[in-house]
Amino acid sequence: MADKMVLLVFSGTIDRLVGMSVLVSGAVALDMDVDIYLMLWGAYAFKKENIGKDMEISEHQTLAEKLKSGMEKAGLKPWFESMKALKEMGNVKVHACGAAAKTWDATLENMDFVDDIVGASELVSALAEAKVALFI
Amino acid sequence: MSEDLSNIKPDKTVDARGVSCPGPLLAAKRSITEVPVGGVLEVLSSDPGTVKDLPLWAKKVGHEYLGTIEEPGYWKLYIRRKK
Repeated sequence: MADKMVLLVFSGTIDRLVGMSVLVSGAVALDMDVDIYLMLWGAYAFKKENIGKDMEISEHQTLAEKLKSGMEKAGLKPWFESMKALKEMGNVKVHACGAAAKTWDATLENMDFVDDIVGASELVSALAEAKVALFI
Repeated sequence: MSEDLSNIKPDKTVDARGVSCPGPLLAAKRSITEVPVGGVLEVLSSDPGTVKDLPLWAKKVGHEYLGTIEEPGYWKLYIRRKK
């Protein structure tokens, strides 16, 4: 049975979502299973209507354009492009917190990459089983 | 080590130059399956982190890191597929 990494993605800002995709990349490369749990702003960022607009919700707004050009210079893919590739390469599941989904009127149809909508007990159970667990 | 590595004929070369971490790592992960067991993957990377990252990855997932050759502006890393 593969080791598991669990990420609680509370934030929806590009800076943190890039961090998320880097961590998922490392885990997939090491053949780990990955479960991503989207909490409040994470669920917002994964809505189809918001994907690609995340520069508008950069944590350090005044540095957003500098960040964007720096990432392009570094050859870093946008987080959502990385996520698509990582879901194809590895065992990466994305779960949205039910309360967060309800807050944003988010459904499996209007979010990208999300496999299901879950409750708090599943989230905590996954944390208890994980070899690596991080809050983003 | 570089002397011996220069004689290696890789079964596959993946060019990940110009891409930052974790791009070269994922390129290696994706490409190693296209190399026969016992064969050698050559990864070209201009990202300095790759020089430490790929040997660690190879060890963790059960492949053999053979070594690195430094070229102007990039590195050539060699991994033997073991499984």
